[in-house]
Amino acid sequence: MSVPIQPHTAAEAKACCAATYGSDVVALLLGGSYHPGGPALTRRLADRLDLRAGEIVLDVASGRGTTARALATEYAVDVTGVDLSDANVALATDTAQTAGLADRIRFRVADAERLPVDAQSIDVVVCECAFCTFPDKPAAAAEFARVLRPGGRLGITDVTVNAERLPPKLAGLGAWIACVADARPLDGYAALLRGAGLTVTYTERCDDAMVAMIDQIEARLALVRMAARAQAEAVGMDFDRAPAVLAAARAAVADHVLGYALLTAVKPH
Amino acid sequence: MVAVERVPVPSVPSAVKRDRDEVFVEYAKSICPVCKVVVDGQVNIRDDKVYLRKRCPEHGPFEALVYGDAQMYLDSARFNKPGTIPLTFQTEVVDGCPSDCGLCPEHKQHACLGIIEVNTGCNLDCPICFADSGHQPDGYSINLQQCERMLDVFVESEGEAEVVMFSGGEPTIHKQILDFIDAAQARQIKAVNLNTNGIRLASDRRFVTALGERNRPGRPVNIYLQFDGFDERTHQEIRGRDLRAIKQKALDNCADVGLTVTLVAAVERGLNEHELGAIIEHGLAHPAVRSVSFQPVTHSGRHVTFDPLTRLTNSDIIHLIAQQLPDWFQAKDFFPVPCCFPTCRSITYLLTEGAPGTADFAVVPIPRLLNVEDYLDYVSNRVVPDYAVREALEKLWSASAFMGTDTTRDRLVQTAAALDCADACGINLPEAVANLTERAFMIVIQDFQDPYTLNVKQLMKCCVEEITPDGRLIPLCAYNSVGYREQVREQMSGVTVADVVPNSRPLQPILIDSPYGSKIAGTGAGHHPDGERRIAPDRTNVGRGIR
Repeated sequence: MSVPIQPHTAAEAKACCAATYGSDVVALLLGGSYHPGGPALTRRLADRLDLRAGEIVLDVASGRGTTARALATEYAVDVTGVDLSDANVALATDTAQTAGLADRIRFRVADAERLPVDAQSIDVVVCECAFCTFPDKPAAAAEFARVLRPGGRLGITDVTVNAERLPPKLAGLGAWIACVADARPLDGYAALLRGAGLTVTYTERCDDAMVAMIDQIEARLALVRMAARAQAEAVGMDFDRAPAVLAAARAAVADHVLGYALLTAVKPH
Repeated sequence: MVAVERVPVPSVPSAVKRDRDEVFVEYAKSICPVCKVVVDGQVNIRDDKVYLRKRCPEHGPFEALVYGDAQMYLDSARFNKPGTIPLTFQTEVVDGCPSDCGLCPEHKQHACLGIIEVNTGCNLDCPICFADSGHQPDGYSINLQQCERMLDVFVESEGEAEVVMFSGGEPTIHKQILDFIDAAQARQIKAVNLNTNGIRLASDRRFVTALGERNRPGRPVNIYLQFDGFDERTHQEIRGRDLRAIKQKALDNCADVGLTVTLVAAVERGLNEHELGAIIEHGLAHPAVRSVSFQPVTHSGRHVTFDPLTRLTNSDIIHLIAQQLPDWFQAKDFFPVPCCFPTCRSITYLLTEGAPGTADFAVVPIPRLLNVEDYLDYVSNRVVPDYAVREALEKLWSASAFMGTDTTRDRLVQTAAALDCADACGINLPEAVANLTERAFMIVIQDFQDPYTLNVKQLMKCCVEEITPDGRLIPLCAYNSVGYREQVREQMSGVTVADVVPNSRPLQPILIDSPYGSKIAGTGAGHHPDGERRIAPDRTNVGRGIR
């Protein structure tokens, strides 16, 4: 927790994010499949995208497959998930098979900046809590545009950060902030999508989801301190510093410096 | 009586139509608080609060606050699970709810909790007592044979029952109370709760020891201790006596023999609503206490004069807790209980370390560790992240959940699996949490219905049932409000009992004292001198066409 990670190159950042998302501290504080807003926000995104049964969906940075399973089950779509982590892909594949969804869901190890998918083959791309972590965002956005068929839709939920105004104290969030470090303001994401030739159709601030995430980090920190203080301190968790960092994060959300957002876009015909 | 019809009646005819000052959200079926006939009702939202209004053809209009936070009321609707059908029903559907209790085959839920009132006598004469108990010459107490029959009815209905609660009156003054507990423990009933004012627990160590001996693995005995606060005024106004030293002694005696205690506070507007935080802190600090239950005073039976429009509700209690202990609680830490109607009961659980006031004290509400609504929102979720976790949470957010029972402990352990981070950083958090469950603490908020707030919709899914000596299971709020309590007392004591009427401000002109300290109608409504009693006859618009 107390080790600020400053990625220097794109390659390092990418490696860092893959490692971080599989990383222990994040898993400890957020659980392996956490994303702000949870299934409720996934549903809101799916409803905004007007998902129809049978559509072909690509879930970029599919993690442990929570979003993919929810979409396949509740919206009867066909989902391919791609993720940088072998472990996540294996776990997500396993879970989907156990749930009897193997005919509708598959997962592959792949990079968002080089999607292993044919051009114009996808009805809907979703990307939850991950776009912020891609080091080459224009390349990822261009890949979304490439794989979507004309009229295809893109849905993103993600962390928003107004970088110039981010208080330095937040660097203390270490592993977590490493992924947030390259997050953009809401209009920054919109500009990236427009730059890739997509038409932004809807944006919404969901800062409550970020507050809930901070609440959960705070609660789990307290729990770890209660249950396993010595072990946690041995791996670098700094319980004395945590309250100030969390307070700074809350203040940043209140000031609209840190937040969460939902965007949808469409590929023009 | 105060007119509460909200329809604006302009004194001068006006050409401009006006809007009502409220949103009509539900049709309801209720009763007249005076004569107990069944009447139509309506639920309206006004000024962000939820009100139930009804009109008796004979006794006029009535209105009461049923939920102080309209947004929470509407949000709670999602936390409603399909009911479970009990193995047996004790009555048939004849006149419809609430006149056929019970349980009749139309009832929507099994009994999470069965209550046996062993007597009407009490060693206190509290100004507030929904059972209208006290030092009275003409009450009744059940015998062992009757108790066994009541337990058998409960087990027949439940198969394996979770919890039976012995209540009264004051159950500890019943000479056979230990035999009753033995009888319960000899049956398929997992846990016994003893609902008491604590006077005997404070003074009779031998009795406490006997309870402690019966509190054994797999068959726990928990103490449900009336505990309304710390101000002398609170004690005088609610219990008629300063019981502070007695409560403390009772708690200490329970701790000595390892009995688990729930502090149960009756909370009345203007009396002790400022003491909620202090009661929680006291509970967290005392080794015997594992949970606190807050109950807005039930305006059935005996109580102090109240205003139905400003009475306390579950959401008021939740907001008060969050205000009084802002470092520990937010209103959203509490979730409605899906087994009954979700507006009836809300619960949260805490994991704690240390005692309040000490440097290393820490408290974590469990709903901040996992997203409860991903599991207990039965409307939005067609896919649940983990069905075993849902099942565990269902048992925790239930009227049968009591700290100290195996079911509750096991389900807390199971819930830790939802933390979904085993072995991160070499820490197995779910396992570590499982070891913390002995320090888990439960807070329950339960608004029982009274003759003003009674809504048949809630009664039909009630899971807290009064077991009667004649072998019925009657939803507690029906028992208290509709006339069943008076019916049973009359049958058991052989003395005529008039229907109790709420001691509300608007009804003051027509109220007279009953022999037991409660109020009855001076007009003769609800009196049954010939012993002929029809429970809640129907005055709703049913059974008749328009021509």
